[in-house]
Amino acid sequence: MAHAPETDSRAAAGLPDPASIFRAASAGLLGWLIPGLGHIFIGDKTRGVICLAAIFLTFWTGVAIGGVRGTIDPHERSLWFAAQLCAGTNALAAYAIRQAISPVGGDQKSPTPSPSWVSAEIGVHYTGVAGLLNVLVILDAMSRSERRNRGLRLGERGPPQETAT
Amino acid sequence: MIDSILAAGQQLTGLTRFMLMLPLCLSVAVVYKVTRIDDLREAFAAAFVLWITIVIGMIAVGVGLWLLFIIMA
Repeated sequence: MAHAPETDSRAAAGLPDPASIFRAASAGLLGWLIPGLGHIFIGDKTRGVICLAAIFLTFWTGVAIGGVRGTIDPHERSLWFAAQLCAGTNALAAYAIRQAISPVGGDQKSPTPSPSWVSAEIGVHYTGVAGLLNVLVILDAMSRSERRNRGLRLGERGPPQETAT
Repeated sequence: MIDSILAAGQQLTGLTRFMLMLPLCLSVAVVYKVTRIDDLREAFAAAFVLWITIVIGMIAVGVGLWLLFIIMA
């Protein structure tokens, strides 16, 4: 055979095919948008629902403890906010709620009282940890997608690649 | 009611602040084990063991630091 198909040559070179890459990237993006949706997308529904419930409950428990103004604060807690953003639409929804209840302009008095700094700290930790847990879930969804395409189970490695001489 | 809770947060005192460590550790344990173990029936038992381990470890660290503070004071 003079010309092998492109997918065969990529597989022989140890490279994933473009459809596999697209599927893993889609799982990652969906997993960021809604935690656990990446697993559901690749067909691991139970695992996805467990991750969705755990991250959703952790994030919104944190917001309920610290209050949305004390917890979601991109100006005073920018690094924590970056971690919170990893929870996807949860963080975006919480930020939208904060914007809706906070007056425009920082020097105006807010109608809602501020919680104690302890509550705010605990809320920030809950929401930040929820976001970081979602990073783990996203990476796992992408990894499982790639492994499924190669027909491998967790912890298994593919066949050893022959090095070109 | 929910919007007022989300807006204002909670006033926490005493032991409540410590007890709030438990659900956070449980969440970490469940998500970690669910991502690491293929069989979900095994994952929940492993998550429970990990949860207990984290809580005991955190208490041990807290007591250790408290004792260090007492000794150094």
